[in-house]
Amino acid sequence: MSLLQRVKNVVRSRSIHVCFVDVGSCNGCDIEVLATLAPRYDIEQYGIYVHNNPREADILLVIGAMTPQWEDKLPALWERIPEPKAAIAIGNCPISGCVFQRRDTYVSAPVAKFIPVAAEVPGCPPRPTEILSAILSLAPTVFKDFEERRR
Amino acid sequence: MKKVVDVSFPVGPVHPCWKEPVRLKCETKGEKVLQAEVELGYMKKGIERIMRGRPWQEVMFLAERICGICSVIHNMVFIEGMEAMSGIPVPPRAAYLRVIANELDRIQSHLLANFSYCYTIEHETLGMYLLNVREKAMDLLERLTGARVNKAYMIPGGVRFDLQAEDHVIISSTLDQIEPDIMRYTRMFSEGPLIGLRSRGIGILSEVHAREAHAVGPTARASGIRTDLRTQHPTYQKIGFSPVVRTEGDNFARVMVRFQEVAESIGIIRRCLDGLPEGLIRSGGVCGAGTITHRGEAPRGELTYYLKADEYGRIVDISIQTPSIMNIEASAHYMIIGATSLADVTSTFISADPCIACTER
Amino acid sequence: MGFTSFAWYLKEFFRREWVAKFLFVKTAPLVTPPFFRDVPTLTEKECSHCRACMMICPAPGAIEVVHGGGVWHPEIYRGHCIRCGLCVETCPETVLASGRILSVQEADGTSFDATYYIQVDQTKCMRCGNCCVSCPVNKEVDPQMGSGGYSSNDEVIMRIEAGKHHVIHEDRCVGCKTCENTCPNTAIRVARVVTAHQGEAT
Repeated sequence: MSLLQRVKNVVRSRSIHVCFVDVGSCNGCDIEVLATLAPRYDIEQYGIYVHNNPREADILLVIGAMTPQWEDKLPALWERIPEPKAAIAIGNCPISGCVFQRRDTYVSAPVAKFIPVAAEVPGCPPRPTEILSAILSLAPTVFKDFEERRR
Repeated sequence: MKKVVDVSFPVGPVHPCWKEPVRLKCETKGEKVLQAEVELGYMKKGIERIMRGRPWQEVMFLAERICGICSVIHNMVFIEGMEAMSGIPVPPRAAYLRVIANELDRIQSHLLANFSYCYTIEHETLGMYLLNVREKAMDLLERLTGARVNKAYMIPGGVRFDLQAEDHVIISSTLDQIEPDIMRYTRMFSEGPLIGLRSRGIGILSEVHAREAHAVGPTARASGIRTDLRTQHPTYQKIGFSPVVRTEGDNFARVMVRFQEVAESIGIIRRCLDGLPEGLIRSGGVCGAGTITHRGEAPRGELTYYLKADEYGRIVDISIQTPSIMNIEASAHYMIIGATSLADVTSTFISADPCIACTER
Repeated sequence: MGFTSFAWYLKEFFRREWVAKFLFVKTAPLVTPPFFRDVPTLTEKECSHCRACMMICPAPGAIEVVHGGGVWHPEIYRGHCIRCGLCVETCPETVLASGRILSVQEADGTSFDATYYIQVDQTKCMRCGNCCVSCPVNKEVDPQMGSGGYSSNDEVIMRIEAGKHHVIHEDRCVGCKTCENTCPNTAIRVARVVTAHQGEAT
């Protein structure tokens, strides 16, 4: 393993930028992602920085049940995220459509139809600890030795 | 020819300050905003369409998932509407427990809204303090109802779980811890000079404009309109409270109204816990047919449910009017106009506490 | 006024506890509190295959009573379950457990009670008999039922008799809505009426 790769591994494991995008949820998962910012859970002590800019994100948190407006916008947003990247589905909505996947609905869950989803956090909504542990467990597997594996 | 509008400046739909997708199109001249327009439709799930033909035990969960932040009040208004329609009595203990759950939910919702505002004006310290206090309120809600966000606490004829004796003590002791913290943060907010520069006199909504835009909730109360539907609720009338009204109408007043309402809510919960009647928590009624329009005071303002049910209690027709749509209109058409800096656009919009999931359903 | 607030900020930041902890503190590992109602787990009790949990579940496809290892048992699908706890409360045999719902429910004496009603719109019904044939209760009672929904057994829930749809035993309906889903003309509808009780009152 080259020295450069080793440095990259260390840096990437200490600095994970997270972008969350709401594609039609009830807001419950949004506020649980926000609650991970709270000093009790304190997502930033692990080097995870939550903001909404896809162009500097590593991990995309997808929240919501895929409304028609997002069907073209979410893949476009996914394209803008630089490699290495991964998407996590937060809550039941992106996994199965939750209670909205019924007759007469507008949503077209799951999100995995539109972008590749690397991990799922079930729950309606999941607890902040579950979101936190999902990000922390996924990040090393995606980012470790990324350049060497790609070669 | 003199050019009036320099740039049509879009904010959103994915924006660091906004938790939910909405697009705000600002027609600007320099940094001055001449006109703003809201573009909605990113979150439309068709909840009202899904609700039709379903009994209360399914609609209740859909109603909660209209808005995850104020899920208790959506549940409460729907269930109270069904009860009023079918003539189901509510035991007094259950009515008091509902008020406790509702006020705890209002505390966490207001603290989250104020956190968002502090985050938007880049005062993260106060924002984090508020989130920390909010976690305590969330713990109490979890203790009472068993879940953090979508609680599913109220059912026709009562509530699902009784308040346990040890939880009674823990809720009152935690409220004692929360209250001095809220006082301290209110003082930090009202006295902070940097906060004052970003908040005082910005995004003014006068009383006339608030009435024109049909503003509701804290947005209206910050502009001097004395409107609070809790004063018409029988249980609240028994407990007694006075709505918080301020007259400035700017961002500062809107956030302060929410801070003061948190203190007011703590008082309401205390009085509820002191006067909690003994007895059953469920009366066991059956939902029947009828038509009703039922209102309630959500953390963001007036919430209206129009319900029509068939003889088995299934929803035939439902129409929901949520508070955020009026406040978003007031925000886009009156508050933002004349903003002298684009940085104030986001903070003014957030100060009205817009909930896009509510608005579009 | 400005200076006092500035001093206030300094005081906020330089509290001894805060300065001492600033560099080294990490949040303690958080535990899920016992009163949180998580995805239901199975207790040792025996499931009687009454399907009350399936009928009250508000989320589509979250719970299913399946036959495995010689016994019936409810299976819960993560990713669909919204953790509302209604199945735990409604189960008459206390097969499921979640958080402290069971203990609180025992202390309060609360229960859910579901009754099912079958509504047939005779103007829409085409007398095809799909509902009668597909009904799982009818299948158990009268496996010989003809494809047109004709039956000589009087214990079936519904049958086609003299060119007309008749509901005979509405009380035996389990509320599964199979008939509603197989009806080609949405003529038959099942109502699940749930009431919440406490104590001995029914």
